[in-house]
Amino acid sequence: MSALRDGIRRVNRAPVILGGVWALTLLLSLPLALAMRKAFVEHLGPSLAADTAANGVNYDWMQEFVDQASGVGSTFKPTIIGFGAVLDNLSAFIDDDVRPIAIVATASIYMIAWLFVAGGILDRYARDRATGANGFFAASGVFFFRFLRLAIVQWIVYMFLFAIVHVWLFDTLYPRLTHDVTVERTAFLVRLALYLVFGALLAAAMLVFDYAKVRAVVEDRRSMLGALGAALGFIRRNASAAVGLFAANFALFLAVIAIYALVAPGAGGAGASMWIALAIAQAYVLARLWVKLVFWASETALFQSRLAHAGYVARAAPVWPDSAAAEALRG
Amino acid sequence: MTRESPYFVIALLFLFAARVDAQPSTTGVIDPPLSPRNASYTIRATLDPATRAITASETIVWRNITANPATELRFHLYWNAWRDASSTFMRERTLGGTPVDSRRRADEWARIDVSSIKIAGPSPVDLTASQRFIAPDDGNEQDRTVMSVPLPTAIEPGGTVAIDVAWTSRVPRTIARTGAIGNFFFIAQWFPKLGVLEDTGWNCHQFHSGTEFFSDYGSYDVSLTVPAGWPLGATGVERERRDNGNGTATHRYYQDDVHDFAWTTSPDYLVRTARFEHATLPPVDMRLLLQPEHRGQAERHFDATRATLKYYGEWFGAYLYGHITIVDPAWQSGAGGMEYPTLFTAGSQWLAPADVITPEGVTVHEAGHQFWYGMVGNNEFEHAWLDEGVNTFSTARTVAQAFSPNYLAVRYFGGFIPWVFRDIALSRETDGNRLPGYRRDAKSDAQSTETFRYFPSTGGSITYDKTALWLNTLERWLGWTTLQPIMSTFFSTWRFRHPKPDDFFQTANPMSGRDLRAFFDEVRGSNVFDYGVQNLESLSDGDRFRTNLVVRRYGEAIFPVDVLVTFANGERVTERWDGRDRWKAFVYNRPSKALSAEVDPNRVLLLDVNLTNNSMTLQPRTAAAARKWSAKWLVWLQDCLLSWAALV
Repeated sequence: MSALRDGIRRVNRAPVILGGVWALTLLLSLPLALAMRKAFVEHLGPSLAADTAANGVNYDWMQEFVDQASGVGSTFKPTIIGFGAVLDNLSAFIDDDVRPIAIVATASIYMIAWLFVAGGILDRYARDRATGANGFFAASGVFFFRFLRLAIVQWIVYMFLFAIVHVWLFDTLYPRLTHDVTVERTAFLVRLALYLVFGALLAAAMLVFDYAKVRAVVEDRRSMLGALGAALGFIRRNASAAVGLFAANFALFLAVIAIYALVAPGAGGAGASMWIALAIAQAYVLARLWVKLVFWASETALFQSRLAHAGYVARAAPVWPDSAAAEALRG
Repeated sequence: MTRESPYFVIALLFLFAARVDAQPSTTGVIDPPLSPRNASYTIRATLDPATRAITASETIVWRNITANPATELRFHLYWNAWRDASSTFMRERTLGGTPVDSRRRADEWARIDVSSIKIAGPSPVDLTASQRFIAPDDGNEQDRTVMSVPLPTAIEPGGTVAIDVAWTSRVPRTIARTGAIGNFFFIAQWFPKLGVLEDTGWNCHQFHSGTEFFSDYGSYDVSLTVPAGWPLGATGVERERRDNGNGTATHRYYQDDVHDFAWTTSPDYLVRTARFEHATLPPVDMRLLLQPEHRGQAERHFDATRATLKYYGEWFGAYLYGHITIVDPAWQSGAGGMEYPTLFTAGSQWLAPADVITPEGVTVHEAGHQFWYGMVGNNEFEHAWLDEGVNTFSTARTVAQAFSPNYLAVRYFGGFIPWVFRDIALSRETDGNRLPGYRRDAKSDAQSTETFRYFPSTGGSITYDKTALWLNTLERWLGWTTLQPIMSTFFSTWRFRHPKPDDFFQTANPMSGRDLRAFFDEVRGSNVFDYGVQNLESLSDGDRFRTNLVVRRYGEAIFPVDVLVTFANGERVTERWDGRDRWKAFVYNRPSKALSAEVDPNRVLLLDVNLTNNSMTLQPRTAAAARKWSAKWLVWLQDCLLSWAALV
C-alpha cells in the first residue's frame, strides 16, 4: 500500500503529465470525431430530424444513419451513450470483438504515442522531481526505440493471448463446456471463469511488461530482453508485493468505472447540458488516465523501494549543456 | 343450532361459484365443431430420453373435402430435413449464410422413418412398399421431407379414409426450435402429417428454412409416454395421466379444432397456473412451464399472455379454446418464440430488466399466434405474412398498449449482461414494426412471391416487418375505427379456415370506404417508398416573401401524402399530394417567411425508408445535433483508446 500511496503522490505531483496524456488522447480522437461530425451534418442536412437529435435521442435517425454508414460510421449506435460506452469497450476488449479499420489504426497510433511518452513518464516518476520538457522528451526519445523493441515482444505475447488463447478459450473451450448446458446462469459462470483465466494471463503479461519498462528506465537498460528477464526476476522475488500492488491498482480502476456508472450523463440536449456532459466524460477520461499513470508510478515506487537507494535512477539527468556558440552568445 | 347469517350464505354461494369457475373450463372437446375436422389424428408415442428415440404410431382419419378424387396421399416428414446437410432446408440455410454447424455430432441429427403405412379397416391394405419421397418445390432428390403414397382406390369427394402409420424417429439436438438439449425436450413437427388437399391438388411443400407450416384442422388424441415425474405440456388438455409402474408415465392429451400438435417435457420445469378473466371474453386457464432460473418471472409471462388475450380478443375476436400453455424454454435450446395450437414457447433471459420487454415481447407475439395462425389457419409456406406480418402488427399494438414505455437494452459480455438505455423508449411505429429490417431488405423480394421462394436470409423482413409497417400505415391512413372492423371481420370470416391474401384484400377494400387496390398492389410488389423535400427557399419580395417548395418522390412506390409548410408567423398550410408525379412544386406569397416543410408530417406512410429527407427547415439545428453526437462519439472513442492503451 505504501507503494500505491507513493505512486499516487508521484502522479499527483506531476499534473502536467496527466494533462499531457489527456491532451494526447483528445487530439488523437478528434480527427475521427470531426469526420463523424461531418458525416452527421451531411446525413441530417437541413432536416427537422436534427431538432429531435439535438434535443435528445432521435433513434429513428440513428438507425437510418447507421444503415447507410460503413467503416467508422457503423459504430454510431446507442451504445455510445453514457456508461454504455464503457461497457461496450470493456466487453469488446475482453470478447476480442472486431472494430473498423479506422478505429484500429487510430488505436495503433495511440499505442505508439504511448510508447514514445512512456520513457519520459517513467523517468519523471522515477526521479520524483520535475524534469522539464527537455528532460521529459529527451528521456522519451532515449527509451522510445528500446520500448519499440520491447513492443515487438509485447505484440507477440498479446497476439498469442488474443489470437490463440482467447480463440481457444472462447471459441473452442466455452462452446464445448456449455454444449449441453441449459441454464443460463451456469453458462455465465463458465464464461466468467474463462474471463478470469484470460484476465489473469493478460494481467501477468502486463505486469511483466510494466516492470520491464520500469527496470529499463530506472537502471538505464539497453537490452529489452534483459529488462524482461530482470522484471521476471523482480516479480518472482517480490511476488506478493507486485501482485498485490497490481490488484490494488485494478481496484482503483474498478472504482473509477463504478463511479462513472453512477454519474455518466445520458443523451441530454445540445446546449449547456451537452458541455456539462462532456466535462463529466472528460473527468472520467482523466480519471482513467490517472489510474494508468498510478499503475506505472506505483510500480516504479515499489521497484525503487526494494533497491538499496530508493529514488535511484542510473541515467544522468537528461539536461544537455547549450552549444559552445550559444554559450558564447550568452557570454 | 344457530341460524346462519344471510351474508354467510351469500358468501358461500360466491365461494362455490368461484370454485366452479376455477375448474378447468374445457376438456379439449368443442361442440359444435368450429372447423371441418377433416384430418384427425390419434397418436401413441414413447420417448426414450437416453437414446433420444421416439417410437410411435398413429391413426389418421382423413376426409376429402375437395371437389376432386384423391389418388394419392402426401405426408410431411419434417424431421428428415435434419437428416443430413443435403436436404432443401439445410441447403437453403447455407445459402442464407448459416452454414451447417460443424459441432453437430452424428448423433445430433434427426430422422423419421415410416416403418408401416396401411389403410385401416377390416381388411387392411399395406401401402408401406409404395411410399416414395418427392420434391415438388425444387426437385432435390436428396430431400425426404415429403412422402407420397399412391392409393389403390381413389377417395372420392366427401369420402373418408383411415390410415395407420407406424414410425420411429431420432430427436435432433435442437434445431429450428425442435429437439432436445440436456434433458429438455421440445417435440414439434414430429409425426407423419398429411398435407392439405386443395381443388388444385396436394399442397404439401418440402420443409424450407425460411417458412413454417400448413395443415388441415382436426381433432388430436395423443398419448405420450415419458419418464414418470417429468412435467409435460402439450397442445390440448390432459385427460388422463397413468403411471406405468416401470418408471414411465403416459399422458393423454385431447383437442378439437386444431391443425397441429406439439409437446414438451423436462424434469426441470416448474409448473405455474393462472387464469385470464374478462367481462366479455371467455375465461382462459393459463399453464406455465417455467425454467427454475426464471422463477421470478412467472407473472411477467402471465401478464403478457393476459394482455394478448385481452387486446386481441377485444380487437379481433375471442380465444375459443379455454386454456393455453406457455413454455419457457431452456437456455440455448433455440426453442423459444414459436407457436403451436394452444401452446407456445416464449423466451427470456436470466437477467431481464423490468422496463425491457423480455419476456413480454415474444410472449405477446407467440400468444398472438393463437389468433393469427392458430384460429385463422393460413398457408405459412406460401403466404406467411398473413400470420407473421399481421401478428407482428398486432404485437406492436398490444405492447404499446400494455407495456409502455419499454426501453432499449443492449447485452454485453457474451450477451449475458443487459444495460438499459433509458434515453431510448422504443416506438411502436418503427421499432415495434421493425422498420430497420425492412429498410435493409426492402427490395429483396416482392411480397406476392410465395414465401418459401423468398431469399432465405431476408425473407423475414418482407414477411414480418413490411406487413406490420403497411398495416400500421393503413391504420394511420384509414383510422383504427376503420381498420379494426376490417381485421375482426377477416378474423371471424376466416376463423378455422385457410384464407389467402386476396381474402384479406377483398375484406378490406369494401369496408375501408376507399379504393385500396393501388396500395395493395404497391405493397405486394418490391417497390420502395421514399418521399422527400428537395428544396425550400423563402425570398423577400417587397414586404412579402416568395416561398418555393419542391417535394419529390425518390422511390418507385406511390402513396398520397400530405405536405405541411410552416411559416414564421405560425401559419401552417397543409397540401394534399397524390404522390404520383416524380416531383411537385408549391409556391406561396405570404407576409411571413417559411420556416419548414414536411412531407407526410403525421408520418402516415411508415414504409418510407428515408425519414430524414422528409423535412427541410430554414433554421436547421444540424450543427447543434452533429456537435452533440460527435461529442458523445468522441468520448466513446477515447474510452475505446484507453482500453487499447492498457496493452502498452
